[in-house]
Amino acid sequence: MDYSKKIQEIASKLFADNKINYFVGYKQNSFDDSQVPFLITDPAEIPKLVFTDRSVFNLANYLKPDHTKRKRVGLVVKGCDSRALNLMLTESQVKRENIYIIGICCEGVLNEKGEKAQNCVECVMPDPVVYDEMIGSPTGKREYTINADIRELATKALEERADYFESIFENCIRCNACRHSCPLCYCAKCCIDQETSTLYHGANTSSGAMHALMTWSLHLAGRCVDCRNCEKACPSHLPLHLLHKQNESVIYENFQQHLAGMEKDDRGAFYKYSLSDPDDFIL
Amino acid sequence: MNVFLVETDKTGLQKFYEEIIGKFETYAPVEKFGKYDYKRISKLDECDPDSPIETTMSIKPLFFPKTAKVMKFKEDNTGTTISETDEDSLTGKRIILGVKHCDARGLQVLDQVYNWDYIDTDYQKRRGNTVIISTRCDKAGTQCFCTSLDYDVEKSDAHDIRIVNGLDGKIYIQAVTQKGEGFVKENISQQSAVGSQQSLEEIKKHYKSFEASFRLKMDYKEVNEKLQKLFDSPEFETVSSNCIGCNTCAFICPTCHCFKITDEKIKDTGVRYKSYDSCNNGYFTLMAGGHNPRPVKYRRWRQRALHKFVYYKERFGMNLCVGCGHCAISCPVNISIFDVVNQVAKV
Repeated sequence: MDYSKKIQEIASKLFADNKINYFVGYKQNSFDDSQVPFLITDPAEIPKLVFTDRSVFNLANYLKPDHTKRKRVGLVVKGCDSRALNLMLTESQVKRENIYIIGICCEGVLNEKGEKAQNCVECVMPDPVVYDEMIGSPTGKREYTINADIRELATKALEERADYFESIFENCIRCNACRHSCPLCYCAKCCIDQETSTLYHGANTSSGAMHALMTWSLHLAGRCVDCRNCEKACPSHLPLHLLHKQNESVIYENFQQHLAGMEKDDRGAFYKYSLSDPDDFIL
Repeated sequence: MNVFLVETDKTGLQKFYEEIIGKFETYAPVEKFGKYDYKRISKLDECDPDSPIETTMSIKPLFFPKTAKVMKFKEDNTGTTISETDEDSLTGKRIILGVKHCDARGLQVLDQVYNWDYIDTDYQKRRGNTVIISTRCDKAGTQCFCTSLDYDVEKSDAHDIRIVNGLDGKIYIQAVTQKGEGFVKENISQQSAVGSQQSLEEIKKHYKSFEASFRLKMDYKEVNEKLQKLFDSPEFETVSSNCIGCNTCAFICPTCHCFKITDEKIKDTGVRYKSYDSCNNGYFTLMAGGHNPRPVKYRRWRQRALHKFVYYKERFGMNLCVGCGHCAISCPVNISIFDVVNQVAKV
């Protein structure tokens, strides 16, 4: 999967037609074969754009006003990224006419060890669900499977699971990289940043980390698209996907097999109410 | 420099470590989720003193904890009573094993600010009680640039004792400070030979091969001088364009020392905490009236880069960056302070 040339062509055309102010793609790191997000305002930088199976980030994150200042943006999205983008559009975070989407029919990206990433093995939608231009040939929706780590955790005793999660919260340094790397965490002022609130733990303790991460995962319940941008950002290498995948599997089983961001204007499981909704999973 | 040197081998070093762990409160790099963090250990096999620099957190939290209780308070009819917290008394002797040279230098840099207008007694006590035993890296990491800065890594006296895995297969335990010398003499077994001039040569050889393994090199003086005049450089915006605005770089940095104060209160009693904060936070400079002098991320990045390479040097005579490269490794998008300052200074 190497679409660098095609992306460079499209980007030059977009700049030439004055359709965009920003282009968000990937750039090769100088020291190894990993890549980093790359924001361009100058067409002269276009030759540096790349896209391979090392293009792991979710670039929809850069549509937040901090980065591209609500201007016209061209960006590259994979299947999972496009689902996040779909939700951002539904939740009125970006205007459709302001973005030009290059959708990639993704064949899966590699993790740090050079193997196919777990979320790509379990991917339900490798093709872009929203795009202006598609690259590659679509392979269609795949069957949903419950995450392998969640299945493994479910076999363990309650105390063991509690200890495991406790070790996650203990090793959290509360840098909030998970929140900042998540395209769906776009609040201008996050509830866990309230300095004067007595509701939230402002201190950097392990109970504070638990509070912050649990709040975060519940805010993303039914919205997380499993792009794992948070996990790649975490400096302590915490397995943050466990928090989201558990929610996802519960929602999939109980809310008519709902998966986040698959359709346009789908507001997510928690925003739709019907009297027939089950409630037996609530403690 | 007063140097006491002991020559030993792998088993000798292990014995030395085991003896220390048995006698004192010892901290060393312990692996969790693929990252090493300095934690209390009771057995040598729990830790790895030779942990790779790329995946090892800094020792800063052992001196400036990520969160610390400042005081307890209680409200009643008569008013508010404030009391000391039940934090440890900070009187026990602590040993840290497997410290990296750059990390130890970070403490020397922090000493400047902690001995400045306000003397932080908790920090001072922790510094006084601790013996730092560092292991010199055999090879530089991909993001390391400690040899390019304003301090001499080879002659560093930031740690008390240094361990060098000599190229000749021997291991050298070298006391660098008086505290370290006393400690080695007290705790090393009789069989180890006292080092000679030749062992000093070997240590030098090891340093030369370490020095040759650096990918990143820069001219510190030139960069420092140029940056002093580049406050208005538009380049800051380019270098920080893909920064996602988290606090990872500051929390992981061995020298960043900003903190925030928060209260946790239940009914009438509460605890006041001091926890890490970062200038990369959008609300870091937000004032009560609503004005924010650093509203956009390039201004926050400019503050970070110039504080590290210009302001601190002006005020305290030391560079606030020690060249460990942790920020670049941990950064979600691999922004390196090395690239930032060099790219800005290049123009």
